Amino acid sequence: MATQPDLRGKGQPADKTFGGLAIGAAALVLLILALIAITMTSRALPVLRHMGLGFFTSSTWSEHDNNFGALPFIWGTVYTAFIAIVLAVPVSLGVALFITQVAPPKLKRPLVYLIDLLAVVPSVVFGLWGVLMLAPHLNRSFLTAGIILAIMIVPIITSLAREVIETTAQADKEAAYALGATRWEMIGAAVLPHSKAGIVGAVMLGLGRAMGETIAAALVIGSSAQIALSPFKSGDSMPAVIANQWGEASELQKSALIALALTLFVMTIIVNLIASRIVQRSLKKTRGA
Amino acid sequence: MTLGTDLAHSLELRQKPSWRRAKNTLMSVLLGSAVVVVAIPLVLIMYSVFAKGGAILFKSFPAFLTHDIPPTRAAGPGMGPAIVGTLLITGMATLIAVPLGVLGAIYLNEYGVKSKFAQAVRFLALVMTGVPSVVMGLFVYVVWTLHHSITPPHELTGFQGFGGSLALACLMLPIVINATEQMLKLVPDGLREASYALGATKTRTVLTVVLPAAGSGIVSGALLAVARAAGETAPLLFTIGATRVINTSLFHGDSTALSARIFENAKEAVANAQERGWGAALALVLLTFTLTVIARVTTAFATRIK
Amino acid sequence: MNTRIAFLATPLLFGALLTSCSKKDDAGTGSAKMPAGSDNGYKDVKPTEAGPVSLSASGSTFQKAFQEVAMDSFMKAHPDVKLTYGGGGSGKGRQDLSDMVVDFAGSDSAFKDADKAKIKGGDVLYFPVLLGPISVSYNVSGADKLNLSPGVLAKIMQGDIKKWNDPAIVADNKDAKLPSEDITVVHRADGSGTTDNFTKYLDAASGGAWKLKSGSTVDWPTAGKVQAGQGNGGVAQIVKSTSGAIGYVDLSDAKAANLKYASIKNKAGQFIEPTAASASAAGDSIDVKDDLTFSALDSKGDAAYPITYQSWVIVYAKQANPAKGAALKQYLTYLLGDGQKELAALDFAPLPKSLQDKATAQLAKIQ
Repeated sequence: MATQPDLRGKGQPADKTFGGLAIGAAALVLLILALIAITMTSRALPVLRHMGLGFFTSSTWSEHDNNFGALPFIWGTVYTAFIAIVLAVPVSLGVALFITQVAPPKLKRPLVYLIDLLAVVPSVVFGLWGVLMLAPHLNRSFLTAGIILAIMIVPIITSLAREVIETTAQADKEAAYALGATRWEMIGAAVLPHSKAGIVGAVMLGLGRAMGETIAAALVIGSSAQIALSPFKSGDSMPAVIANQWGEASELQKSALIALALTLFVMTIIVNLIASRIVQRSLKKTRGA
Repeated sequence: MTLGTDLAHSLELRQKPSWRRAKNTLMSVLLGSAVVVVAIPLVLIMYSVFAKGGAILFKSFPAFLTHDIPPTRAAGPGMGPAIVGTLLITGMATLIAVPLGVLGAIYLNEYGVKSKFAQAVRFLALVMTGVPSVVMGLFVYVVWTLHHSITPPHELTGFQGFGGSLALACLMLPIVINATEQMLKLVPDGLREASYALGATKTRTVLTVVLPAAGSGIVSGALLAVARAAGETAPLLFTIGATRVINTSLFHGDSTALSARIFENAKEAVANAQERGWGAALALVLLTFTLTVIARVTTAFATRIK
Repeated sequence: MNTRIAFLATPLLFGALLTSCSKKDDAGTGSAKMPAGSDNGYKDVKPTEAGPVSLSASGSTFQKAFQEVAMDSFMKAHPDVKLTYGGGGSGKGRQDLSDMVVDFAGSDSAFKDADKAKIKGGDVLYFPVLLGPISVSYNVSGADKLNLSPGVLAKIMQGDIKKWNDPAIVADNKDAKLPSEDITVVHRADGSGTTDNFTKYLDAASGGAWKLKSGSTVDWPTAGKVQAGQGNGGVAQIVKSTSGAIGYVDLSDAKAANLKYASIKNKAGQFIEPTAASASAAGDSIDVKDDLTFSALDSKGDAAYPITYQSWVIVYAKQANPAKGAALKQYLTYLLGDGQKELAALDFAPLPKSLQDKATAQLAKIQ
């Protein structure tokens, strides 16, 4: 038996450095988030001290009087995102179902490619089209912004929904057919119950994207700080007003805009967290099968 | 009941009642029309981008890509600085975010795995994907861009491409970590165990066995993150300034980018400026498409080899 | 193996590319070697002695068209100087200069007293560079010429007058056939020096009719038909494409977009059209303070266009970097001298001679 070189203990320093680098990189996430939280909060404090909780309930936004209320912008963000979801979800779902259940295999591949490509089109391009081609006909309003946002999030929701739907067990589908179901009944019996949670997750991720969208919204929403129910009225959203008013803002106004940014941050985090929890749970369930 | 009745029974089922068939056809039509409804605006948008953008981009072919940006109202092509800017800024952001993201994912999947710290990082990376781009832009403006003055060494911040790269890197980091971790998870443990059995250290295993195995997936995920970053506007608005001549330096002087230019030109009423906006939109769309296609081809190529 | 190489090579390639590029500019903005005692020879210290110099600026979008053209001409004559003007609004320009993130700012108004304490780099100097009219552009059939008095304008912009054939408008426009169309008020979505000056004018000249106060952002009415656009260009876009629209756009952008604009009644009671000439007339009778700040709004002259305003280039009196300071002086000299010739083509008005002389004299104060 020849002596084997003793490899134990070799490479420890390399291991330690590499491991250290890896931990450092992971810790960077913590560091950056902490920095964001600290710097943004400290800059938002002046306006919060000035307005108190009234910042979140007041609907006036007046630089002249130093009176800043976030409500119209929270409304605008939520309302346009809502319109976008109402328009986008039925359509996205339809396309996803079409691609996975109805389309012949030859058509499926290119359709999937197409949807994935469209999901990468930058939102500013949608904004450009919206303001130069759509806004002259529709005026700038909650609805116009909602439409642009809807067009933007359809590919995202469709891609994700498609992935979830594809994980439906073939056995379940065949079982439904074996019992004499039509294609639509099979979808209702096997695909939808299985994918429901994942689809909800995909929708919420799309919602998060729609809420955080700055440029496309800024260009076509109309920039009017009002809370209106009619979708044909102009409004404003948090990211849009930040992008629009930052350049000329006074000190306190800047603080107010940063407070808006923080509010938006918290809202999108909540939506995204709920979304990924739902998606992950649904994917885990299906992998077991 | 006999076989005969059973057969009759199954024949009956095949003869589905007309209302069920009708409902099925209706639904198929609805699904098909969903595709049409999606197709219409997307086709319209792509048509505008390619037709209007193509007109200026291809008519004056290299000129559009190399000339300086003319004054807003002047006619003529020219987005050279924006293209250089987008490539440099996104490139630098990739340089920062991808190695760090891959290292972070390596920690999450190979070292920490289920530890409290790893779980916290995973959770926070998720939180970070939800940071709106406008928040990232403001953040980098406050902690980096503002610490500038005209006297050295503070000249190294201020309005410059690098600030934009920092903001984009912050946006890309959680995406890269997430995608890479998914890819690393797919590498079978058997490979790792075989490597350890041969006496390799952990570092060596990760670098020479795990990473190459997950390689194409990581590359593809990174490319998709880059494509996302190249299209972002808000983070750049607060950090990079606006130059109309080509600036190859990321640290000295204003930079500009395609996405920022598209936004600027969308706000103009003069046809000349709008034209350049469409051209820039086309250039940006082509760039992101190329990156996405390369990403898909990489995954397809790798799976075919395996 | 190959993926690993590709994976490592790409960042290395980018890194090499970037480091080689940054080296080029290092030579330029470092400390220039000034021969001792030559503090009065700025004209003799050519920026080329230290390599390329870059000056960055941001601020008023009102001046932007002028700055773009002037910078292009100047850079052709001085290839060793790089100039950039980022726009972003007068407030941003002042803030950026205050934070010392840019070398000079373009601004339509002076620093507010509250902000003066935050200026990091010491004293600032104001150099007026142009005057320009804000047009009241409109899109309605039946009126090729429109006369508006400030009180009526104020009421229209705040939503009190809702239709084009309102008696108040018809009173000044007996020859026009105004339809009974709804008025769509178009204002700025982004904060703006144009809004600031326009609302200051309405405050001063409307005899109390204007209720919305003044500022770079204003609480515009939301009832009725109101739209907002980004930048002068955005407002011009909306006015152009919306029938019945009326909005304030600086003349330069209004003409570039082929819009119709109204004649406004000035202090002397005349309805004056916005032109470079009427803007110059407004500039003739203004009170200029010692630091060269002033307001050209609601000017006294007979032929003066009342909604004329001004823009300055603001710089620090003390320049820390001599090469940059020299280049800045050269550029300002150009702006105040030959550069003024570029203004007419852009529908701005050049400075009145007395103001031009005062500004040129102030150049000596830049150290």
